[in-house]
Amino acid sequence: MTPGVFEYHRPKAVDEVLALLGQLGDDAKVLAGGHSLVPMMKLRLAEPAHLIDINAIDALRGIRQDGAAIIIGAATTQAEVIASDLLVAKCSILPEAAAQIADPQVRNCATVGGNCANGDPGNDDPAIMMALDASYVLRSQGGERQVAARDFYEGVYATVLADNELLTEIRIPTPAAGVGMSYQKIKRKVGDYAIAAAAVTLAMADGRCADAAIALTNVGDTALFSSAAADAIKGTSVDAAAIDAAAQAAMAAAAPAEDLRGTVAYRTAMAGQMTRRAIVQALSRATGS
Amino acid sequence: MTNSETGLKERQFKIVGTRPLRPDGIDKVTGRARFGADMAAPGMLVGKILRSPHAHARIRSIDATKALVLPGVKAVVTHEDFAEVGADLQDVLENVMAQDKALYDGHAVAAVAAISAGVARKALRLIEVDYEILPHVTDVEAAMAAEAPVLHDDIVTSGVEPAPKTPSNVVHRHEFGHGDVAEGLAQADVVIEHDFKTAATHQGYIEPHACVGSVGPDGQGELWCCTQGHFWVRNTCAALLGMDVSHLRVTASEIGGGFGGKTTVFIDPVALALSRKAGRPVKIVMSREEVFRASGPTSSTAMTVKIGVRRDGRITAGEAVLKFQGGAFAGSPVDLGAMTAFACYDLEHVKTVAYDVVTNRPKQAAYRAPGAPMAAFAVESVIDELASKIGMDPIELRLKNAVENGSQSSYGPKFGPVGLVETLVAAREHEHYTAPLGANQGRGIASGFWFNFGGQTCVSLNINADGSVALAVGTPDIGGSRASMGQMAAEELGIGYDKVRTIVADTASLGYNDISEGSRVTFSTGLATIQAARDAIGKLCGRAAQTWGISPDAVVWEDGYARPAGANAGEFPPLSLAEIAETAAKTGGPIAGHCEVNAAGAGVSFATHLVDAEVDPETGRAKILRYTVVQDAGKAIHPSYVEGQYQGGAVQGVGWALNEEYIYGEDGRLQNPSFLDYRIPVASDLPMIDTVIVEVPNPGHPYGVRGVGETSIVPPLAAIANAVSAAAGVRLTELPMSPPRVLRGIDEAAANGKA
Repeated sequence: MTPGVFEYHRPKAVDEVLALLGQLGDDAKVLAGGHSLVPMMKLRLAEPAHLIDINAIDALRGIRQDGAAIIIGAATTQAEVIASDLLVAKCSILPEAAAQIADPQVRNCATVGGNCANGDPGNDDPAIMMALDASYVLRSQGGERQVAARDFYEGVYATVLADNELLTEIRIPTPAAGVGMSYQKIKRKVGDYAIAAAAVTLAMADGRCADAAIALTNVGDTALFSSAAADAIKGTSVDAAAIDAAAQAAMAAAAPAEDLRGTVAYRTAMAGQMTRRAIVQALSRATGS
Repeated sequence: MTNSETGLKERQFKIVGTRPLRPDGIDKVTGRARFGADMAAPGMLVGKILRSPHAHARIRSIDATKALVLPGVKAVVTHEDFAEVGADLQDVLENVMAQDKALYDGHAVAAVAAISAGVARKALRLIEVDYEILPHVTDVEAAMAAEAPVLHDDIVTSGVEPAPKTPSNVVHRHEFGHGDVAEGLAQADVVIEHDFKTAATHQGYIEPHACVGSVGPDGQGELWCCTQGHFWVRNTCAALLGMDVSHLRVTASEIGGGFGGKTTVFIDPVALALSRKAGRPVKIVMSREEVFRASGPTSSTAMTVKIGVRRDGRITAGEAVLKFQGGAFAGSPVDLGAMTAFACYDLEHVKTVAYDVVTNRPKQAAYRAPGAPMAAFAVESVIDELASKIGMDPIELRLKNAVENGSQSSYGPKFGPVGLVETLVAAREHEHYTAPLGANQGRGIASGFWFNFGGQTCVSLNINADGSVALAVGTPDIGGSRASMGQMAAEELGIGYDKVRTIVADTASLGYNDISEGSRVTFSTGLATIQAARDAIGKLCGRAAQTWGISPDAVVWEDGYARPAGANAGEFPPLSLAEIAETAAKTGGPIAGHCEVNAAGAGVSFATHLVDAEVDPETGRAKILRYTVVQDAGKAIHPSYVEGQYQGGAVQGVGWALNEEYIYGEDGRLQNPSFLDYRIPVASDLPMIDTVIVEVPNPGHPYGVRGVGETSIVPPLAAIANAVSAAAGVRLTELPMSPPRVLRGIDEAAANGKA
């Protein structure tokens, strides 16, 4: 339970991080909150030769409105998400979900960027970012690119983030007024990873679902974006039959492993159940009922 | 029940029953307190233990040659470095260090001392152990099967007729009870029988086992360790190392939780053996993974309970068959489970049969009221269902059968004054019992019993020249006992609480003290403290008599002052404790009180718990909404710490009932040896745990104290199961009641058309 030997870097600016990443490549890991990386290092499942601590870089922190987008700095903590008036007013799914992550001590350190970039299927933010159609800003010495959350994840701890790239910020298209959203998570107890969870955003117009997005947490190798589940409610009045069809689609998309949290059948059923609940809550928020 | 009925005279307390600050509180919140891992010694080495990756394997050979030549390695020990011990300690020794076989995943097979943790870890990888892997068994019922792999060739089941001839994993069959169960069941209007299962759980103490051992070239040893009983640790380590008891001094550190799990030794003899070989002090600190794999969790169990009741609520008979696996060695607490199972009820016909079973798991250690919570889970679940079947309030049913003063217990003795009825009545009268419930919510109730223990105790109380008092006890403080001892000493001496400083003395400074276990400390160390204070008061009065030139018989002690006993004794102004202490050098030297006692008369205790739970019928997740503990404390010396014991028992019960579980894979390895995967409840999982202290004085203690530390964990499993079952609409008979298991129960009941 002791990490291996590593070099520790604490740069003051993003450019310094990018220079280090350019030079060290996959010998280096970026340290933000450290609540996934450090336990992995203690178990020797990760043995990076270099740690680049980005906590001294204020430019990577903060939540702000930028035109049509909400920008969240990668090193913003989950506690800061919970305390953000901007998010509570315009994107409440994030603070609601952050309050369900681990415990207060962890939320004071753990960051949104780490949660998104780590590629752990048990992390909560990836599914939410998929549902919100967020983009990740990835910078390297060679420049900057934006990748949609829906295209970012490849497998367990595998993403399109290159060894020389840093996730600097997350850009969320500001949800229109009237968009309903909900994150529903079942876990064994406080502090545990999800048995299953679902993120839903939806908009209603003239009694019909004008738009919807649905994504799932911890029931596959990555967070799962399910177009089929969203399609099941789009254009409908989001009645019981449509909700049931969406839940069935989510269950079809889910591919959980059996683990300490339950059997494949149970966790699949819970993916459906969380989808159902998230739709119902998002709908009631969208319609103000 | 009033004090006069129990023979205790009414006494108006000044300090007992108040809530002063604990003397160790500031040290603990500021980090100044020294726990097991906080000790360092000059030249200290780091000790690490090599553990078996196999559940069951013969050890053909251990070759440490490569490890010993690694620079920085100072010693390697195996079982050959320990002394031969008597039969009573053979299992302890073999659990500390495997001999010819590794008996569970995590069993220690060798240990190394080196100049750093890194070198020690490297050395462990260089020790070559040649294992012959053997078939293993970790489930209690599988271990009892005829075809099961046998752990010990020398265990042949005892307690059965005719005596078997072949070895078995069943160590012993116990039987308790009286009457004729068949006859009793024949008189019943309703009989219910169920099978129950519970998973092994861990005490979950936050501080891992830690120690520093040092044996000098002259053979004199010292040990610093976190333990509930340093005198027992001293005796055991001395035996395992072949030392004289007086050559080993053990000091107990502050302790970060024990709950029974620190009543034995794992690493302490290893540190001493390494130190003796290396000639330098050795520190060993277990990792959390080691704590889970290789300390002493509880038994897992399989139980069958059958109870019959008449329509008027009278229980006609109770029968239980209990099977507990206690890990790789004999001694599961199944006998205690069997003795406590029906202890709440006054029964004409009762029988409990208990099987002590060995499996390829770590040797179980005590965990608060060992054996009793599981047995109570099974019995109180059936009682609950019987109440519902005959349409009777569950408290009413219990009251109709509850034991009282003079009742014949199910396990042997007759009860003296006991408080079960009082806890049931207080629970029924509590606002919680009739508070409204919502949809998918249920209320559960259960009662529980624990014996409580007295035992060997030795206390020294020194009066200092400035009038302050130093109280030395030999029972490690695991629940605020330094505060309660200080209160009892101050009460008796008639001085302020802040004038008494209580410390836990090392093994060279006091006579033998039994372990802080069996809820014995406030009772027996308290009793000894009061006796030691009275001993000192006798001497204080003698000094006053000497000063006044009157007979010691003519001096009385009142409210902290020596006074002449009436006008005939003469007219003298009273002398305070401080005034007498100030002149002690001139009146005969230091003044101290002592008490050495093997305390008998620990009063048994009962509790009744009320729980409200909500079950999500679509996910199976259960949530505890409200919890009230009602328990008889006899006399609460420090009510806050009594309440803390009540709350702690309930909280650990919540974890045991809903989440906690040792999970072994097909390979016999523990799958969840971390707090990430073995989840214990945290504050945000819980409602406020309300408490009600009932006081039915124990005539065996000068103030009426009964132990409180263990009874509080006896009812929760049953009370929570009754609440969850009520909320789910289906009887749940297996712990933990995890979401998948509860949902399966709901679905099966729906399929059977019961829901």
